Amino acid sequence: MSRTKWLLVMLVICVAASLLYSQLPARNRYRGDHKLIILGIDGMDPQLLERFMAEGKMPNFAGLARQGSFRRLTTSTPPQSPVAWSNLTTGLDPGGHGIFDFIHRDPATMQPYLSTSRVEPPKHNLTLGSWVIPLGSGTAELLRHGQPFWNILEDHGIPTSVFHMPANFPPSASKARTLAGMGTPDLRGGYGTFSFYTDDPTVQAGEVEGGEVIPVMVQNWRVTANLEGPKNSFRKGWPPALVPFTVSIDPVSPVAKIAVQDREFVLREGEWSDWVQVDFSLIPGLESVSGICRFFLKQVHPRFQLYISPVNIDPAHPALPLSTPASLSRDLWREVGDFYTQGIAEDTKALSDGVLDDGEYLQQAREVAAEQRRIFDAEFPRFHRGVFFFYFSSLDLNGHMMWRLMDAHHPAYDSTLAAQYGDALESFYQQIDGVLGKVLPTLDANTTLLVLSDHGFAPFYRSFNLNTWLLDNGYLALKPGANQEEGQYFANVDWSRTRAYGLGLNGLYLNLKGREKDGIVQPGSKSNALLDEISSKLLAVRDPSTGLPAITRMSRTAEVYHGPYTQDAPDIIVGYNRGYRAGWKTILGAFPRQLFEDNTNAWSGDHCMDYTLVPGVLLSNRKIDAQSPALTDIAPTILAEFGIAPAHGMMGHSVFQPPAAPQSQTALLGH
Amino acid sequence: MFGYKLKIEDDLLEKLKKCSEMAGYASVDEFIIHALEKETTAILGADTSSASEEEIKKRLRGLGYIE
Repeated sequence: MSRTKWLLVMLVICVAASLLYSQLPARNRYRGDHKLIILGIDGMDPQLLERFMAEGKMPNFAGLARQGSFRRLTTSTPPQSPVAWSNLTTGLDPGGHGIFDFIHRDPATMQPYLSTSRVEPPKHNLTLGSWVIPLGSGTAELLRHGQPFWNILEDHGIPTSVFHMPANFPPSASKARTLAGMGTPDLRGGYGTFSFYTDDPTVQAGEVEGGEVIPVMVQNWRVTANLEGPKNSFRKGWPPALVPFTVSIDPVSPVAKIAVQDREFVLREGEWSDWVQVDFSLIPGLESVSGICRFFLKQVHPRFQLYISPVNIDPAHPALPLSTPASLSRDLWREVGDFYTQGIAEDTKALSDGVLDDGEYLQQAREVAAEQRRIFDAEFPRFHRGVFFFYFSSLDLNGHMMWRLMDAHHPAYDSTLAAQYGDALESFYQQIDGVLGKVLPTLDANTTLLVLSDHGFAPFYRSFNLNTWLLDNGYLALKPGANQEEGQYFANVDWSRTRAYGLGLNGLYLNLKGREKDGIVQPGSKSNALLDEISSKLLAVRDPSTGLPAITRMSRTAEVYHGPYTQDAPDIIVGYNRGYRAGWKTILGAFPRQLFEDNTNAWSGDHCMDYTLVPGVLLSNRKIDAQSPALTDIAPTILAEFGIAPAHGMMGHSVFQPPAAPQSQTALLGH
Repeated sequence: MFGYKLKIEDDLLEKLKKCSEMAGYASVDEFIIHALEKETTAILGADTSSASEEEIKKRLRGLGYIE
């Protein structure tokens, strides 16, 4: 072979090899040994952390803060978890990712909806007698926009695992290993609906917040009842699919045997069952949906009381997508057994409703934390390169529920309960310290660790009813003759005379012409003047019982948000003062007569307020150069760790790079 | 099975890319989908065929932040 021919052959081989290499999955191309571990701890508060570190209760965090860095992390506007974690995920603010609150509204219908995902049934059906045959399948749609950092990493060949990231249900298409978190519904399609069965005639039957109370009769020491599952779209009228079960009660001892489908188990009074798998038959023998739930035998005598958790999507046979790849949830189930797949697993509503007491609720919350730890313990040792993110929920949910038992100033403080459970939140903090204790010994020179939270926490002493204020001040009108205290969801609002309304935890919207269904406020100078007027008046409102301002910040979204979804956002994000929050009923468009109310609910701590009052935390084993890091800096930081430039639209910078020196006026002028 | 594919002329695609960047969308696909959603809502009105209002309200109730 001549030299020229030989060179040509070699050239062809090189080109072919190069083409073949470029077609290989990106995951196979990363050869670096850099590692980034991120522990995402919802609701970890810097003040509480500092206190527990100073008291010697969190030695691992204290060591990390001492040897590495500890900063407050600027949270999102508003500081709500779906918003905050979306800032972190995309490096964008809400104008870029489109999540502004837990609750959004469709301006064309004024219907509220869950902000992060939409679960739709099949659009078309074939009806045969009482059967309805869906043509095609239903869908679940993630409403968070923007590119998650893990997709960018995977595009660059960096292997990435992300467990329980909020606002990622259904998980966005990805080559990364991801498991959905907050925002994942139960099998009934909501944030979680428990069932409570009792023969106590003094307990009111029917729907309660977050659950249902079902009256039963004990006959011959036996209870027969149904567990409600998803709507059966195969049946006309979409009745719920039901699973019957029986409870055989011991006449003397506080014990009962529960039989459901092919399972039988015995519970003592005060005992929780393991996970129980249930099949909801949609078409007998042909189509069914699998769920998992836990039973709690609250009381046997003198009254029968049985709690059943919301029916979770079965991780072994998920009816809706839970993970990428789809097999991940099943693999995890094989390794750790069943686990809560519902996005907010702690049953806070059962405690608020009095269905579970504090001790019973804490048992359930501790089991949620233990499950998360089991998944962490299974997955973390597998991590050898790339990025590993793991989310923990317990500080947030238990900060909400247990604040009243560690704060004697709280309207719901109870000294007896405080003596029993006043240190419950502290013990959850210590559990997280234990997780960190597992991670710290694994760090080497090639590993960066970030420990962060999405926001901090504060007491929730007093409610402010924003819609009541708008009504009292003439910005909102009710239909003639309507009773102010009747109806929810703006049922009695006269939109033809309404200029502004509040919806969600921090949203204030104008009733804008051309945007809202029956909008009357002209966009432009008139709407701007109205926003100025409302803002200045709300900032001047004082709580008559304390003399304190209820609201300390009014953020105009047109000024603070960036990106194409700003147009869908509330016009103002209302930033409540520390100790204050939107009233329980104002959030979904009701009008309690009182403007201010004491918060006596078990849900006693909160963070949906002025974002400057509830920063999160950021700790690292490396020196953090940024003096005021923000959640939007985290995605650029993650990318920079692997030499990847921030994606288009990302607002922040790596926290490990000193902030760019401001250009002098001379430089700006080009002299 | 493979979804719907739409052929877009290069000139238009360039414009779409430019608009997508100017408006701050994460990708040109996201921009196109958002633009089409807005336009179909404007022509057809809001989609009220999905879950009933009562159903939506039921789903919201489980959220700890509301009563």
